Amino acid sequence: MADAIVKVEAIVKDFRPGLGIRAKRVLHGISFEVREGEIFGFVGPNGAGKTTTLKILMGLVRPTSGKASVLGCPVRESAFRRHVGFLPENPYFYDFLTAREILDFYAKLSGVRGAARKTRVSSLLEWVGLEGAADERLRGFSKGMLQRVGIAQALVHDPKVIFLDEPMSGLDPIGRVAIRDLILGLRAEGKTVFMNTHILSDVETTCDRVAIIAGGRIRYEGRTRAFLDGAERLSDVVLARLDAVCTARLEQRYEALVTGIGDRAELRVREKDVSAVLAEALRAGAEVISVTPYRVSLEETFLAAVASSGTGEAS
Amino acid sequence: MIDSCLRIATLAENTVRQAIRSRLLYTLLFFGLVMIATSVAVSSLSYVESERIVQDVGFAAIRIFGVGIAIFVGVGLIHDEIERRTLYTLLSKPVSRMEFIAGKYLGLLFTVWIQLAILSLAFVLVSLAVGAPVTASLFAALGLIGAELMVVVAIATFFSSFTTPMLASLMSVGIFVAGRLSRDILQLGQGSGDTGTAAAAEALYRVLPDLEAFDLTVQAVHGLPIADADVLLPLAYGIAYSAVLVMAAAWVFERRDLR
Repeated sequence: MADAIVKVEAIVKDFRPGLGIRAKRVLHGISFEVREGEIFGFVGPNGAGKTTTLKILMGLVRPTSGKASVLGCPVRESAFRRHVGFLPENPYFYDFLTAREILDFYAKLSGVRGAARKTRVSSLLEWVGLEGAADERLRGFSKGMLQRVGIAQALVHDPKVIFLDEPMSGLDPIGRVAIRDLILGLRAEGKTVFMNTHILSDVETTCDRVAIIAGGRIRYEGRTRAFLDGAERLSDVVLARLDAVCTARLEQRYEALVTGIGDRAELRVREKDVSAVLAEALRAGAEVISVTPYRVSLEETFLAAVASSGTGEAS
Repeated sequence: MIDSCLRIATLAENTVRQAIRSRLLYTLLFFGLVMIATSVAVSSLSYVESERIVQDVGFAAIRIFGVGIAIFVGVGLIHDEIERRTLYTLLSKPVSRMEFIAGKYLGLLFTVWIQLAILSLAFVLVSLAVGAPVTASLFAALGLIGAELMVVVAIATFFSSFTTPMLASLMSVGIFVAGRLSRDILQLGQGSGDTGTAAAAEALYRVLPDLEAFDLTVQAVHGLPIADADVLLPLAYGIAYSAVLVMAAAWVFERRDLR
């Protein structure tokens, strides 16, 4: 097993809204690990506690209790940030600067010196596809272009770990594909990527492992594939000439989900019940058109996990 | 240490670029220049000492608009970084919050000093135009306004490290006014005849900035000699007071959750 690059142990966070005396608990002792070289998806509905967790990891917010470390360093120290890149949600940059100037500014702050800085900035602008707009002011950039500037600034000092907060949120399909490809490119370079997101299709296509957070609690942590496989397997059975009596019986006995037009019916049944459903349908004179394994999407599994927590809101 | 200084210098440079884009700064600067220019018209209403009136009004304009720029431009800078979330990317770099506050402070101070230089240049030109004396005392007095602004910028930075621009402005203006009156408060306390009141007045005087220490207007306008100590002691006091305030701002900001 690869080493843990990010370690979160029993983190609790309480906020006091306004001048309120009563604290609102948004994280209830969460723990998880991110391993070297993986893309880790931190997934949850809005208000689940994803951004608060990320802010704790970046030292922007202090945990009420618990420990968090990145590359073995406690997150309150600033030294480890030499090896960490961060893209906040909907990043805003000084829009009076050009793309080249803003990257140069962040590179200076990150300790990239001399000629190496100029080379690094130019190569990053090319890598994110902004070499043509490098000397234009950021105020004229689209959201997708700003997101690419955001990724470039996160990488300007060649960090080992990159934290991305909703990197594909609000982008058009072309922008999303571009950012997804950039993220996959980071994995190919051996970087570790921590990605906060609620866009499940992106998790499915990019993340090696996921942690599902809902209501400020971790509901699942493990491999994305295992998460999907852990869900109940279903199959779609398409039948013709299925009479109403038999349809009702199958619905009742096997909890089949029936849809259909005319004498053609489509039944979604548990995989273990497929043989019995087919036998009964054939006995009733139905004709089998097709049997297709139904792959439960991450979205459905996620919704089931969140539903089991009662609410998506941290409380 | 060198890395830290370079980061502070980078942040300060960026703060200057940010601050010089403020419309409020140019508005205040414009009115400062107008007030200096109109001092000639005001002095013409008097038959005596018209040059001194020009310089009195000029010093007042420089001080009022310098303080205005320091407070009203300064209080928004840290708040804007949080509101617009530019701070998140800054602090994700190996930048400590102390460095961030120091960079913001120095950038704002440099901006305020640029405005002071522009207003001072206009003041000297107007003084020369009306035949008022332009002496070393006048430059010493202008230099100490720069030191006073150093303290005022530190006050604005301190309040903006934990509250909104509106509250920070009110508090900074309040401390500025109290700082101009701190010697009077001390004298009133001592003259009250009550030990408790005198002790409280002295405690207040110790905590509040003694901004009158930076005011050499009378000596400069009347051509009175200014001793080295009259300049160096307030300067040292200003540096020490500002350093304490900036460190206090960093201490407060360090403990703040950036939600």
